[in-house]
Amino acid sequence: MMKIEAIIQPSRFESVKDALLEIGIDGMTVTEVRGHGRQKGHTEVYRGREYTVDLLPKIKLELVLPDNLVNRAVETILKSAKTGKIGDGKIFLSRIEEAIRIRNEERGENAL
Amino acid sequence: MSSPRTDLAPGFRPPNKKMEEKPVTPLGELGPQVEAQRERIRKLFESGAGARETLRQLCELADGTIRKVFGELLRVRGTPAQGMSLLALGGYGREMLFPYSDLDLLFLFGTEKAEEEFRPLISEFSRTLWDLGFRVSSAGRTLDECKQIEESNAEFHLAMLDRRFLDGDGQLFERLDAKVLSGPEKTARPLLLSEVQRLTRERLTRYGNTIFHLEPNVKEAPGGLRDYHATLWMRQLAGDRRDPRISPLNEDELTRNAVDFLSGIRCFLHHSNARNDNTLTYELQAEAAERSLGIDDNLRRNAAEWMRLYFRHARTLNRQLLRYMEQRQTVALTLRQRLMNAMPGAKIEGSGKPYTLRDGLLELTNELAFADRQATYAMLADSARTGVPLSRDAERGIAYIMVHPELPQKNTRITWPALSEILGGDYPSLALRPMHRLGLLTEALPEFRNIDSLVVRDFYHRYTVDEHSLRAIEHLQELAAPPDARGAHFAPLWRTAERRDLLIFSLLLHDVGKGMPVESHVAGSLQALETAADRLKLTPEEKSEVHFLIEHHLDMSATVQRRDIFDPSTVSGFAATVGSHERLQHLCLLTYADIHAVNPEALTPWKSEMLWQLFVATSNHFSRTVDRDRLHVSDEALLLEQVHQQTATGAKEEIARFLEGFPRRYLAVHSPEEIALHFALYQKLGAQPVQTNLKERHHAFELTLLSADRPALFAAISGVLAAWGMNIVKADAFANSAGVVLDTFHFVDMHRTLELNPTEHARFQQSIADVVNGKQPLEPLMKGRLAAALARPPKVMFRTSVQFDDNSSDHSTLMEVVTQDRPGLLYEVGSALARQGCNIDVALIDTEGQKAIDVFYLTAQGAKLTPQKKELLREVLEATLG
Repeated sequence: MMKIEAIIQPSRFESVKDALLEIGIDGMTVTEVRGHGRQKGHTEVYRGREYTVDLLPKIKLELVLPDNLVNRAVETILKSAKTGKIGDGKIFLSRIEEAIRIRNEERGENAL
Repeated sequence: MSSPRTDLAPGFRPPNKKMEEKPVTPLGELGPQVEAQRERIRKLFESGAGARETLRQLCELADGTIRKVFGELLRVRGTPAQGMSLLALGGYGREMLFPYSDLDLLFLFGTEKAEEEFRPLISEFSRTLWDLGFRVSSAGRTLDECKQIEESNAEFHLAMLDRRFLDGDGQLFERLDAKVLSGPEKTARPLLLSEVQRLTRERLTRYGNTIFHLEPNVKEAPGGLRDYHATLWMRQLAGDRRDPRISPLNEDELTRNAVDFLSGIRCFLHHSNARNDNTLTYELQAEAAERSLGIDDNLRRNAAEWMRLYFRHARTLNRQLLRYMEQRQTVALTLRQRLMNAMPGAKIEGSGKPYTLRDGLLELTNELAFADRQATYAMLADSARTGVPLSRDAERGIAYIMVHPELPQKNTRITWPALSEILGGDYPSLALRPMHRLGLLTEALPEFRNIDSLVVRDFYHRYTVDEHSLRAIEHLQELAAPPDARGAHFAPLWRTAERRDLLIFSLLLHDVGKGMPVESHVAGSLQALETAADRLKLTPEEKSEVHFLIEHHLDMSATVQRRDIFDPSTVSGFAATVGSHERLQHLCLLTYADIHAVNPEALTPWKSEMLWQLFVATSNHFSRTVDRDRLHVSDEALLLEQVHQQTATGAKEEIARFLEGFPRRYLAVHSPEEIALHFALYQKLGAQPVQTNLKERHHAFELTLLSADRPALFAAISGVLAAWGMNIVKADAFANSAGVVLDTFHFVDMHRTLELNPTEHARFQQSIADVVNGKQPLEPLMKGRLAAALARPPKVMFRTSVQFDDNSSDHSTLMEVVTQDRPGLLYEVGSALARQGCNIDVALIDTEGQKAIDVFYLTAQGAKLTPQKKELLREVLEATLG
């Protein structure tokens, strides 16, 4: 099992979600986050006051998937989240040792 | 000893092992009997028996079982019940025992010795009841312990108010009731009353202080059975004084019906969930509606209709509770609080008003006057303006008058000015809440009936549609002093919103389509606006503003969540939809409130920040592109036609010459009717080189001036306005390709000169024309007025900031001045610009409280400002403005 963490543009979230649904992935955790990588923030002046936006709004998706679905999911996210501009985000993969469904204590891939 | 005893704590369940060691054999047959009785009662309820009958039978079953078990245990042990009583407390004491409710029991002992003797029997007793399927929640007290009523054990003593003798030593119970507790309970009434109120306030807050939950908890949520119990306690603690008012709406009957209805639901929930779970979920709402639960009129209802009945009953219980909460305030006000309460009163007291301010609430002084709705609406407008709420008794009085058969109701059709006054106040929801409770909101705005108590199922909303709309209004009202950081950015927008009445009106209507048989709720809401606007006689401009806000109420949220708001094309596209800064401000506030009212967590700091970013980017887009986006009439056939239709005289070619080259913002801030009026003034320029038009607009005046461009024109007009004591809150100055200048000033008549002296209107306009034409010098006019005004120090100080931007326009330099607003400010800025040889192509003037925000597009000798000129201007302005 692998965990996919994808940091994406908020504006691409709906497309990514729909694309994942299309390949049969409907379970995910979504978090509103802020941060920046190479894409730095900027400053807006409004009515004499400066507003610095140094941490930009992003969406973080977290999915834990069986190994056989991981590549497809990553490709789907890459395809649907990409705009080609700086700030499109990143995908992180990590291995998961165990998953347990709380309701019935199922374990492993059955719990996903 | 004052703290509660825990040796027989609620939920205590002895292990089965002991039971195996020493079974209570004579009671062995009781289990199947009790189970059979439970099943019989359940079937009885399902076959249509009322809740009251069901609760009575459940209570009898519990009473009978307890007595059997208790008696049998005493018999087996050969112990008489002397010195020990068994009491039912809380809901069980009140004989309101639901299928899976806890059995609240008290073991009362005459002495500590008796307690020691009976301890083994009590353990066995509790264990046996658990095994019979009763959830026992028990406590033990000696008579002496019961005397101690303190804050720390107030909840126990509140439960004791419902005590009922079950078995054991009857004389002991009588001693407790008649001798031991009568004194302490009387003395402790204020303490217990304040504890009921505290616990109730905490409970109501936990549920957002509203009955309108989509999946309500029928016991604990506002409007649930706990409201009824709390009301009973408060009545009991207040000596059960009954209100002598005879109401045609028989309150006791309404209460009884509500309690029966909710009790029936609670029984149904317990049976359906097979546990003490009181949440009325969507699924169970549908099932209850299918069974017509609690209804005997044989009418089939869908879940939404059935839920409306639920909310009607919940409202009865909640309204009664809140009235008691208000009446039973025991906390004495400090001198400062009394003075604070008295302050708004000074604004409300007036001769002949049938209401007055008492203890910080509006009370009726002449109930009969409220047969005329004008009195009711005047009171509500006062409440919305001052922030003083109506008392629950005042509400009750109005409700009484509204249905009194011998008092014919007058003026039941509200006018737009009366409604606008209520909606435009600083505290609109203080008026709208009682209006909703009294049915006045649906009387004034029948379209709102579509969403009255309407449940629309989705994953996000927590409240019914009407509650969502009213909450949204409350969230705006809170922006006067934002309760958390999410509102901080938006507070100045709310404080400076010009037509709050239209904004609030839009919020009332924005979701009414959800209760209409239409495909899109927005289309339904717009349809409702048509009828409401016609009935209330809104002006075309007002209707257009509300139409825009309803039509686009989801756009800003959608842009924030589905578009890249840092992409300039997103911003320019959104700006094109919105059109003007004024509409952006309204739409942003509406969006903020709409998201906030979905549920308490919906407006995350993340979303709030995104919304603000889009607002700032769009606002800046407006001010930075105004000079670039010019009107070319060849692309505006429709506009030309609209204006042509509005004009009495004038060929299309002449209209085209007039419009050509104005910034597009001109179209965004003026309707075709207004443009036609400007054109009429333009036509007269040949006869009189300065044309003015003055009109009163919603607590302010609007002056429009047309003239050929000339040096220091803007400074001259600003100077005359300042000399007449007018406070300019907003202005814009545009020029067309032919060099005709069109300036619009919105100002507040600080000294009510024009308001109180209509004959001064002409002299005022003549004075402007004379100064602009050079027939009258400005300085003598200004001298006295400015000296007096400048003597008053400002309440808040802002440092002047002067920013230049050469990228926003192809041929002019943008200068933004943010500074302290004060009388004559625009005159000073305009004069400084004129002295430096700067020509104003476009001016956008705005104020935000005591802060002035002025944007000018400037040229000098037909070109952008040189770096030296900009530096010089900055120095001059900073030196002049401070």
